Amino acid sequence: MPLETKLTKMLGIRHPILSAPMATIAGARLVEAVGEAGGFGILGGGYGDKAWLEQETAKLKSATVPFGIGFITWSMAKQPELLDIALAAKPRAIMLSFGDPKPFGPRIKAAGSLLICQVQTEEMAKDALDAGADILIAQGTEAGGHGASRTTLDIVPAIVDFAAGRVPVVAAGGLADGRGLAAMMMLGASGVLLGTRFYASVECEVEEEAKQRICAATGGNTARGVVFDLSRSIFWPAPFTLRALVNDHSRRWIGREVELMQNMATVSADYAAAKRARNFDIAGVFAGEAAGLIHDIPPAAEIVGRIVTEAEQIMSGKQNSAVMSRTAVTR
Amino acid sequence: MMWPDRRIIDLFKIEFPILLAPMAGAIDAEIAIAVAEGGGLPSVPCATISPEKAREQIKIVRQRVSSPINLNFFCHKAVGADPAREQLWRQRLAPYYREHGLDPAMTINAASRAPFDAAFCEVVEELKPEIVSFHFGLPEPGLLKRVKATGAIVMACATIVREAIWLEENGADVIIAQGAEAGGHRGMFLTDNIAEQPGTFALVPQVVDAVKVPVIAAGGIADGRGIAAAFALGAAGVQIGSAYLRCPESKVIALTRKMLAQAMDDSTVITNVLTGRPARGVVNRVMREVGPIAPEVPGFPHSATALGPLRQAAEKLGKVDFTSLWAGQAVRLGREMPAAELTRALAGAALARMSKLAS
Repeated sequence: MPLETKLTKMLGIRHPILSAPMATIAGARLVEAVGEAGGFGILGGGYGDKAWLEQETAKLKSATVPFGIGFITWSMAKQPELLDIALAAKPRAIMLSFGDPKPFGPRIKAAGSLLICQVQTEEMAKDALDAGADILIAQGTEAGGHGASRTTLDIVPAIVDFAAGRVPVVAAGGLADGRGLAAMMMLGASGVLLGTRFYASVECEVEEEAKQRICAATGGNTARGVVFDLSRSIFWPAPFTLRALVNDHSRRWIGREVELMQNMATVSADYAAAKRARNFDIAGVFAGEAAGLIHDIPPAAEIVGRIVTEAEQIMSGKQNSAVMSRTAVTR
Repeated sequence: MMWPDRRIIDLFKIEFPILLAPMAGAIDAEIAIAVAEGGGLPSVPCATISPEKAREQIKIVRQRVSSPINLNFFCHKAVGADPAREQLWRQRLAPYYREHGLDPAMTINAASRAPFDAAFCEVVEELKPEIVSFHFGLPEPGLLKRVKATGAIVMACATIVREAIWLEENGADVIIAQGAEAGGHRGMFLTDNIAEQPGTFALVPQVVDAVKVPVIAAGGIADGRGIAAAFALGAAGVQIGSAYLRCPESKVIALTRKMLAQAMDDSTVITNVLTGRPARGVVNRVMREVGPIAPEVPGFPHSATALGPLRQAAEKLGKVDFTSLWAGQAVRLGREMPAAELTRALAGAALARMSKLAS
């Protein structure tokens, strides 16, 4: 069974597939669906909305499968009590991304949860291991939402080499199918973390039109930058930027970020109004370059099943990746 | 374990599905011969040489190996120099001229990157390379028809799915999917938006889904695991450049070789300063201080003209401040070993990786 890895054993799951903690849209429903299909769902704690976190962790109290809870580290650091709420839900793992995990490592481990850290450079991987990380996620710039500049093909083997077998490494960024999982295992990863693919799933708590826009996009329709963060008056620390589908709003402001900052009050108000009105010509759909591989909105369990079947066939040499892709498209 | 996809091996009649990237200015027949001896596909870049020189290069390769040959051309639309822009560019560079004791108004020979034309087409008709590849799209239909009439397999480069579809519809037999990691000039021709160029990992499966012809992955691939990963994504071959730059047979000058040896994963950036078209290379002084992207640069290849004297003057001082250091993000994975040996090592490592995971 080629897909059993260090990671699956550690997390107690059947398949090395993790769903990304997409802030407030990866809710308990998606997390449970991924877990029941044999993957590992991670709740999108994001910036830290206490009421949302309490509501979603309450739903997970009855979960019969292992699950994780993720946070944006630098934002969660402003209200560390959120970590207590999360730990009280007894997650198998806490995933920390974007910021120094060291202040939180000991509490997470003392509570009996594993620490998963998402990293974009070797320096961050070192900080993560110093914080006691049990699993590293190497994230490439292809990823949707926040990330940094190095590509998946570059950062995954670099972090695999850096980890040198001490902890399993999970690949993220630009992946959406079994070919991606097989390729990442070739690069030495123990599994994959997928965001955009699960964004376009039945259980993701986001508007249907946003999901449809992902189905309609190609990989060249995304761009990484700071426009959407500035438009929400959120100042992210360097080196992190956000990848989203290109829309009228990003076309208008990319390259004119200084002007945007000078007009931030107006832009933010307009942006918030557009978001309420579900106008995705202005509101962002935070998707990665793998958007071009996504053509439907199935239940999360079906996504996990497809990826596992494809990857197993490719890796056992039973199926040629190029031939498989055509059957995937016509499916 | 065999290669999971033999289409490129069988089509090109090569031992390993590994293509030497046609790195104009950095390689010539010598390394092409070595790669052929190692079982890969030798490439001869013609973007910076004359038709006569191209003839000579193919003959040298033919004398030494019986392998098929890939002859590579640029097919940008040639534009004349724009005097007003040239003047602005000269002014921008004037402080550097003075610093090096050069007259900012000196007469300079124009930089030349000749696009594929009738003269080059005659070389193809005469010497019949088995594979002819193009960067920046395809030549005009009349010329392309003549190339195809020689029986050559036509290969071209796509940086987005839309370009891949266009290339297939317009006659390409094989498509190179060039991810953002790749060194040298971006092959982009239906877009000029650098920010939206996908990485190899996201691009390859999407191109594989979009076209019926075999796809070769390029960009960021420099070792066995990268090759194995590319095949898992549906590629039928890989094109590798940076990994070969420090082979003894490459024509990279000693100064550049040193910079490449020191380069890290984050040492490269996409710039338009050196030639007027976006290309990835190791950051040097002019890229840092004037670019990496400068809107005022003259069009391709004219921005290189005014940089010529500066490059020569700086190189005499042991500096690569104005020299093109084209390389991709995997540059640090390059090794100093003979190219034939490297080709075999890459293929062996890829096969070992694939069979280990299959067991």
